[in-house]
Amino acid sequence: MTSRTEFFRRIRAEVERGRGAAPGTTAPRPAQPRERLDVLRRELSERWRENLDCFGREFERVAGVLHRVGDAREVPGVVARIAAERGMRKVVAWPGETLGLDIVTPLIAQGLEAAAMPGAEVGPAERERLRALAAAADLGVTAADVAIAETGTLVVVSGAGRPRSTSLLPACHVAVFDREALVESLLQMGLVLEAWHEGAEPSWRGAAINFITGPSRTADIELTLTRGVHGPREVHAVFVEQGIRAHRA
Amino acid sequence: MTEPELATPFRERAERALGDRFLQEALTIATTKFITLRREAFAELPEGEALRDQARAIKEATLQRLDYWLERLVDNVERRGGHVHYATSADEARAIVLDIARRTGARMAVKSKSMATEEIHLNEALEAAGVTPVETDLGEYIIQLAHERPSHIIAPAIHKTKGQVAELFARELGRETEPDPEVLTRIARVELREKFLQADLGISGANFAVAETGTVVLVTNEGNGRMVTSLPRVHVAVMGVEKVIPSMTDLAVFLAILAKSATGQKLSVYTSLVNGPRRGGELEGPEEFHLVLLDNGRVRQIAGPLRESLNCLRCGACLNVCPVYRQIGGHAYGYTYPGPIGILLTAMLNGPASVKDLAHASSLCGACMDACPVRIDIPRMLIELRKEVSEGRIAPWSERMVFGAFAWLLRRPGLYRLGARLGRLAQAPLARGGRIRRVPLFFGEWTRTRDLPAIAPRTFQERWADLEREARR
Repeated sequence: MTSRTEFFRRIRAEVERGRGAAPGTTAPRPAQPRERLDVLRRELSERWRENLDCFGREFERVAGVLHRVGDAREVPGVVARIAAERGMRKVVAWPGETLGLDIVTPLIAQGLEAAAMPGAEVGPAERERLRALAAAADLGVTAADVAIAETGTLVVVSGAGRPRSTSLLPACHVAVFDREALVESLLQMGLVLEAWHEGAEPSWRGAAINFITGPSRTADIELTLTRGVHGPREVHAVFVEQGIRAHRA
Repeated sequence: MTEPELATPFRERAERALGDRFLQEALTIATTKFITLRREAFAELPEGEALRDQARAIKEATLQRLDYWLERLVDNVERRGGHVHYATSADEARAIVLDIARRTGARMAVKSKSMATEEIHLNEALEAAGVTPVETDLGEYIIQLAHERPSHIIAPAIHKTKGQVAELFARELGRETEPDPEVLTRIARVELREKFLQADLGISGANFAVAETGTVVLVTNEGNGRMVTSLPRVHVAVMGVEKVIPSMTDLAVFLAILAKSATGQKLSVYTSLVNGPRRGGELEGPEEFHLVLLDNGRVRQIAGPLRESLNCLRCGACLNVCPVYRQIGGHAYGYTYPGPIGILLTAMLNGPASVKDLAHASSLCGACMDACPVRIDIPRMLIELRKEVSEGRIAPWSERMVFGAFAWLLRRPGLYRLGARLGRLAQAPLARGGRIRRVPLFFGEWTRTRDLPAIAPRTFQERWADLEREARR
């Protein structure tokens, strides 16, 4: 087996030989990404209506469905309606502290089988059980940490109380977000990512950040567009105008 | 390890592809559609050209300090609890993955689409070691069931009809069904969902790896990338060393152009940024994360003639626009990577002798370079490869002799003029409408697949002399 030293010795020698072959420059990185992001967020808060409209247009282009509500208390009703229209019964959801609202109690009251995922570390057997629960669920409810207007993308950070499977295994995914999540472009998302990775990471943060741009799709058979090959067949986004008190990435 | 397609010579492989009417139709439909979607996507993005320049500059800058960025990547992956392995060759890369599989007692591996693991022929090795590899990208799954190879970098099964896929599912999965892509996809979902939940090992490639954060980035449309990196207890990512990029800011630039170049989407459905193993409080995520850094011929090109091909993002745009790929499809190339960039990558991995025929499988029209998101000068490198093939006496003797004689003649203007005059007489019985469709003897090889332009009634030199006379008058 090649050792790290040997591997890098060869690379260093070749880099030395190829020095000056073709100059280039990396993208200029922000010096203090968190401060820059705070400034950007203040600017964006003035344009949230335009950005939401743009997000809605792009999200619909990728077959997402956008719902707009005034108050967080209306969200369970939206989810219950989505489930009822499709004859879905089993719901898994992020817990109240990461979702920003308790959705499980009102859904159960409406006759659905709803379960909240845990907010902290659980043992291997329990993880196994919860994964099976998510795999058997029809619908998964998560928050979205960022919504990118330019591409209609929902960005979801994994972590404690933020299981990945909720947005992956059920046939239908519903993500809840508010104006603070909106950014305009992928390049702005680059700044968000820089800010998230500046300094020490928060202890709740998990190992995965997922960009979700519409339902799972494939065109691998005769280039016929088909949805829901591995991930959800449907993706809904619920915008809460008054904001949600979610734990944010 | 040898490629099964190579048992027949390139010319026969190409001829077979040209005679396959379904393949011809499938290729035309697919490549035309990809070209249109790509064009539309960039038309909507006024800053697209500037982003392409920027992406290229980032790749060049990274290559200038590849050792530095790779070391940063390694340090950050290890800081986050991942393990890094170093593979100089394909053999070594396979051995590393097999060792991880053995040590963790893996019986089944789910794989998300990865050209790097195709390149090292990982599946055969896993099977031989008693680990069942399951390709989970729908296209890859189909060709795995059919025991075939991908024929396009991003649409591996474009050469198959829905009827063929239905027959395949009936035979291999015992599921009789109508040839409807919707129904077939649903069957694959059910079959593969079970595998995702059972598998012990998840194997992926990497579209990018971000040095500053130690992040492996996977781009998929189906969601299999997310499954493979979240559900099995061990995740192994195999990546070529050139996939490293410095920062998240750089990543945003690449994401802005990658999907547009590949499928015309603004962004693929899933972009997954993976930072090592499961962390405390998470429900999912592997207990172990391994990153295999693959050289396999790449490192010696950092200062080599194929350096620029290390910038390739594997988007497939150059395949779709290539007049040769559009005619013969991916299998005829015979190696893992087809199309114009594939010829260069094949030379990189297997040496220039492996592309003595393929180096000529290009019209040098430059469409590939125009389509390439990072503007790789593929034609320039193909010409250099041809030169190397010819100087290294890899080309057949007849070809070398004819071109040698031609070069000798070109250096002697008097003889050249005489030759043109004699040639004009000699070609009289063969030339029709300014073209020669067939020439005798072994020269006939040249006109077997193309016409030879006839020598003009008056050569350029003769017309030039006429013009000079006229001017003096």
